[in-house]
Amino acid sequence: MSGSGGDGRYVDPELGLLLGEAASQRIEATSAREVWRDVATSLPAPGEGPTYYDRPVLKEPVWIWSVPVYFWVGGTMGAALTLGGAAQLAGGPELRPLVRRCRWVGAVGGAASAALLVHDLGRPERFHHMLRVFRPTSPMSVGSWVLAGASTLAGAAALLASRRGLLRGAGDLAGLGAALLGLPLAGYTAVLVGNTAVPLWLETRRTLPLLFIASAMGGAASFFDLAPASRPREKRVVRAFGAVGKVVELAAMVAVERQVTRIERVGRPLREGVSGALWSAAKALTVASLGATILPRRTRRAALAAGLLGTAGALALRFAVFHAGKASSRDPRATFDQQRGR
Amino acid sequence: MAAGFFTDTTVCIGCKACEVACKEWNQLPDDGFLFTAMSYDNTAALGASTWRHVAFVERPVALSEQLTGLGQFSWLMMSDVCKHCRRAGCLEACPTGAIIRTEHDSVYVQPDVCNGCGYCVTACPFGVIDRREDDGRAWKCTLCYDRLQGDLTPACAKACPTDSIQFGDLDELRQRARRRLAVLHDRGVREAWLYGADAASQPGTGGLNAFFLLVDRPEVYNLPPEPVVPTQRAAGAWGAMAAAALGIAAVALGAVLASRPGRP
Repeated sequence: MSGSGGDGRYVDPELGLLLGEAASQRIEATSAREVWRDVATSLPAPGEGPTYYDRPVLKEPVWIWSVPVYFWVGGTMGAALTLGGAAQLAGGPELRPLVRRCRWVGAVGGAASAALLVHDLGRPERFHHMLRVFRPTSPMSVGSWVLAGASTLAGAAALLASRRGLLRGAGDLAGLGAALLGLPLAGYTAVLVGNTAVPLWLETRRTLPLLFIASAMGGAASFFDLAPASRPREKRVVRAFGAVGKVVELAAMVAVERQVTRIERVGRPLREGVSGALWSAAKALTVASLGATILPRRTRRAALAAGLLGTAGALALRFAVFHAGKASSRDPRATFDQQRGR
Repeated sequence: MAAGFFTDTTVCIGCKACEVACKEWNQLPDDGFLFTAMSYDNTAALGASTWRHVAFVERPVALSEQLTGLGQFSWLMMSDVCKHCRRAGCLEACPTGAIIRTEHDSVYVQPDVCNGCGYCVTACPFGVIDRREDDGRAWKCTLCYDRLQGDLTPACAKACPTDSIQFGDLDELRQRARRRLAVLHDRGVREAWLYGADAASQPGTGGLNAFFLLVDRPEVYNLPPEPVVPTQRAAGAWGAMAAAALGIAAVALGAVLASRPGRP
């Protein structure tokens, strides 16, 4: 087990050629795999079907923290671009500052999103392969193109926002394009997780998009609340947008909870463990943020509280869904029960 | 030619020659040496550097027409592998085009294209494809693509001493599997059945190019009972998203219009 076995292949390069299909697989350590990490949660209760030593049937998603953070950033910028488009179309000159702010959120958010997503890749230097093909069956491919388009247009629109004449017109055109792409950007990540074999995500694929989009609205409004505008009309727009978003988000959370009651095992991660705690926290924070939003007297402090609580709630929601999916993929009975319909 | 595997688990003796042959031919690294306490299975699962995995099941249930000195007992072994689904979840999820369908109808990951996004890992209903932390890319069985170029049988099938793993033209394999099933049923092994042999019996994947003859429920072997390629159900999710997106557009316009001067 020494010398040429250092990479776990036991091929002496002096004597043998490394030409196998997996010869390029990079090995840093041949330490024992973490097979114990997710073993044996419980022995089968009477009436429960068999499993294979309680081993997971699926592979746990390999994504790291930057993916749920991106779900929040992408949602926020998508909703902000949509709001910016609406303000551009129907708001008149009075709302131009809001339009400009929305475009900047889209541009900066787009850059941040790209950084977060590249950070998650196993081979970050190949990030550009994401735009190598367009594959409509893959929500990740669709999303990559949407994100690339929305960020580019938002950046152009932001830079051209204070110009005059033809350039301003071009900026407005880009702003409308970014707003249109903002719509799928706010929600495609829910389709992305719903389009997997992970039981919890698969089960909730029809309600998660509403939840993510509503949370994106609340998240965008909360983000604006952190640095509120001075103009009262702008404040009113953001407040109404956020209040509706938060109400719908809470309703969608209840809808998701109802949906997972069909199969007990599938919904368990939303009730138990880290993901369950995050889910409850997201709900509590959103309720509190909504309360601060609809307070009859909007002080500077109330807006800040609404912004902080809402941002924390939107982030907690993405992490809850993310970790619940990971927990769900580790539970073989969730997959078996879901497919057996019990 | 559509090529694949027919794995007849009733003749598997658990020698793991397939695991070793696969590792050697493909020059896969070892996974470390460990003791799992799962019968004779110390491989545990398929993974990025484990493309064949022999499962060992010790059951307190006798096989029909089988006499043992142990009473109510039987030992099931199955060599698991990538199923090379007719509709492959990994392939349909891959955003880079790294995962392709080859001229042998197998599903192949191009290591020079894969950027390690990890989406295929979540899309496989069998938990086959995986990403190695230190390599960063997704890997799985290639159906010995390089050997097929030279008209050679894949290493695992070549090494199998009992022909539990059979490689060949899929139509022929299916016929062979049905004949074998009839023989077993004739002998009284009524529990024998084919897993994933065609689209009719497994519509969720369109049938498997690597299918199995089993003698118990799929769960016993850690196989999903009704696997479905996630993309088959994606339309509902896209529809829900489209509806919600119209909603957000309406609310955004509503919020702007309602804020016009003269309104409360």
